[in-house]
Amino acid sequence: MISAFISTGIIFLIVGILLMNSWNAITDVGWRLFTLKWNVANEEYGILSMLYGSFMVTLCALVIALPLGLLTAIFVSEVLPGRYRFYAKSLLELLAGIPSIIYGLLGVAFLSVWIGHLFDLQSGRTILSAGILLASMILPTIITLSDDALQNVPDKYREAANGLGLTKYEVFRSALLPIAKADIIGACLLALGRALGETMAVMLVIGGIDKIPTPFFNILLPGQTITSKLGREIAETAFGSDHFSAMIFMGMILLFVVLILTFVAQHCFNPEQRLYE
Amino acid sequence: MSRELVNKCFVLAAWGAVGISCLILVSMISVITWNGLGAINLGFLFTEARNFGMSGGILYQIIGTLLIVAVAALICLPLALGTAISKSEYLKNRRMRKLCTALIYGLNGIPSVIFGVFGLIFFVNILGTGISWFVGSIILAIMILPTVVLATYQSINSIPKIYRESALTLGLNKWQVILHVVLPQGIGGSITGLLIGLARAVGETAPIMFIATAFSGVDIPGSPFEPVATLPTHILALAQQATAGQALQNAWGASLVLLTLVTLFSVTALFSRMKLRTISQR
Amino acid sequence: MAGSTTVLPVVSRAAEQFKARHPDIQIIVNAGGSGVGINQLGEGKIAIGMASRDITREEIEKFPNTTFVTHAIGRDAVVPVVSSEIYAAGIHALTLRQIGQIYKGEISNWREVDGPDRDILVIDKEKSRGTRHVFMAAVLGDKAAEAPGADLVLGSNNEEQTAVVQSDAAIGMLSNAWLNDDVKGLSIILSDGTMVEPTLAHIVDGTFPITRALLLITNGTPGGNVKTFIDFILSAAGQAIVKESGYVSIVQ
Repeated sequence: MISAFISTGIIFLIVGILLMNSWNAITDVGWRLFTLKWNVANEEYGILSMLYGSFMVTLCALVIALPLGLLTAIFVSEVLPGRYRFYAKSLLELLAGIPSIIYGLLGVAFLSVWIGHLFDLQSGRTILSAGILLASMILPTIITLSDDALQNVPDKYREAANGLGLTKYEVFRSALLPIAKADIIGACLLALGRALGETMAVMLVIGGIDKIPTPFFNILLPGQTITSKLGREIAETAFGSDHFSAMIFMGMILLFVVLILTFVAQHCFNPEQRLYE
Repeated sequence: MSRELVNKCFVLAAWGAVGISCLILVSMISVITWNGLGAINLGFLFTEARNFGMSGGILYQIIGTLLIVAVAALICLPLALGTAISKSEYLKNRRMRKLCTALIYGLNGIPSVIFGVFGLIFFVNILGTGISWFVGSIILAIMILPTVVLATYQSINSIPKIYRESALTLGLNKWQVILHVVLPQGIGGSITGLLIGLARAVGETAPIMFIATAFSGVDIPGSPFEPVATLPTHILALAQQATAGQALQNAWGASLVLLTLVTLFSVTALFSRMKLRTISQR
Repeated sequence: MAGSTTVLPVVSRAAEQFKARHPDIQIIVNAGGSGVGINQLGEGKIAIGMASRDITREEIEKFPNTTFVTHAIGRDAVVPVVSSEIYAAGIHALTLRQIGQIYKGEISNWREVDGPDRDILVIDKEKSRGTRHVFMAAVLGDKAAEAPGADLVLGSNNEEQTAVVQSDAAIGMLSNAWLNDDVKGLSIILSDGTMVEPTLAHIVDGTFPITRALLLITNGTPGGNVKTFIDFILSAAGQAIVKESGYVSIVQ
């Protein structure tokens, strides 16, 4: 029983500690936390650039991975002959398990160089590079979960639709999608959460500039995310200082966003919502 | 557009997506394997890193990784078993159960760097343990806890009621029922979950990079309060030297070894899932 | 031990040799940058901090319970480096002022300093890094100066070196030990017009304007194993390692 308490209590402990440590930042720096300049020597702790960076990188990743992943899932679920399913699923699980640091290595050694040459940039360390890397990371997850969602729709719906003479696309759109929608949305939210929280791959290819690129939608410039900043600077931050508090505050924002996403996603997956049972 | 045309586009798009996905994913694995094989030989695996990893091998990194992960498993397993058993046997109120589940899922979603920061504040600073591999194990155990709890809970849940009822009619009390009926059936699921969790833990960098690892000078730690060297952090250090030839090669070699470990755990988990199914599922 | 990536090669190699002579003493080395070294020493997490810059007043104030004692073990230069393509195109030297302008964003194309027509990729370092403090003090007059012209902000010397190599129009700041065929060091044009190359000789005689001492920092006077290790580095064998790593020995 104690173990149950520990397990569930830990999450409160984590949140609590983060909150305590960001307190300094909230009281001393206050609303100035939401400015653009991050300069520790001048005691400026504007975290907006980092928030923006995290947001943009995740957006890029989703724009690439969602369509790609969904279509692939449809393929695996509806088009692929049954006997290959086992191999496909196992392969996907394997790919989902590749450690993030290896993605980072691939990014630094290959991807950022290619992007640099492709767009004739000064440096391939850009928001787009981080986005592509993240997209590769969440792709297996999206495929697997969406495929599960589609598989959960009982065959009788497919048979009925086929019996009516609908094409594959129409079967999907009118019979499968409405039912699988909740699960697919849940899958996307989980992928979003994972992309937001990813540190290693992003840290190596993002370029580390604490600024919002000009113009703001230019993803071919370096930037900074919450995770990358935390990963790089936390070790040199004196514990208890305003600098530390500001960093923890940033982390807390990230934590809350991810937690909200996770809880909403779980709600989507809630089996009691399923209409066909 | 005619229905047929729409359908054709759709199927084409699906094939295209599969093609691109496969291309991305397969090329990644081949790049790692191809480059990594070049770096690996027996010497690499069994000598220590020298000169920032520019020369020498990764012996202590492998040992460090295995150590942290093994101890994390030891910490995690009893905790997870306890949680899952409590949840299924003791928590009868549905709302409590849902709350519990929600919290566990929440724990699962927390970004790895937040775990690292938490470990830094709580263990290194507040509890004053300094940089210690044991703390790293604890953090990793917390990270994979949800996975193991979920897997255990699922396998416990699939034990048909009749087992428990028969045991109770035989006169066993609740604790004995747990010990003799639930536990043996549930342990299969938790082992599977543990292996899946370990596959993830072995590759994690962010949680342990500020609280448990050092770059050089480390061999087998003598006490729980010393740092250790691990494969992921080593790869990180080498990745920052991505143009120095030998360092990069060693990075690939280390990556391949890491990937092999992850695959080993994953494949074992797969087998375990098939073999250790509870009686009811066979 | 932890800290500066500039001092790290010396300490790593010294630790290996030291271990051969004193197998029972364990030396654990980490990187992180000068800021991390000083920070962790102040928090009592490490015994020796490595730094390639002086300790700032703010850092001393942050850790009132720590007596920072520095031990210089060598000297090196912080060299403005450029990608080899830029060097080959003719840029061999710049004035400190020009470099400052590049980092401030006032000069943004190599053309403006008689180079090829390419945008300058300005590579900066994290603010607490020793190399940056020394560089910015020389180039912009303030060790904690902002560099609005910076395009990338990286961490260790290794990372910066990698980025300079990967680009064909980059400028960055590195210790002279990191110069190689792909990473070329610029000479500095002094105010009287003389060009000073970033060679070891010029570090020794002090003509190169951006030099610094490489420091090991302890909390109070070192004793025991810490003292033994520091003495080892200051000995002839240790100083040989310093020279081997590309730096200038302190005893000269």
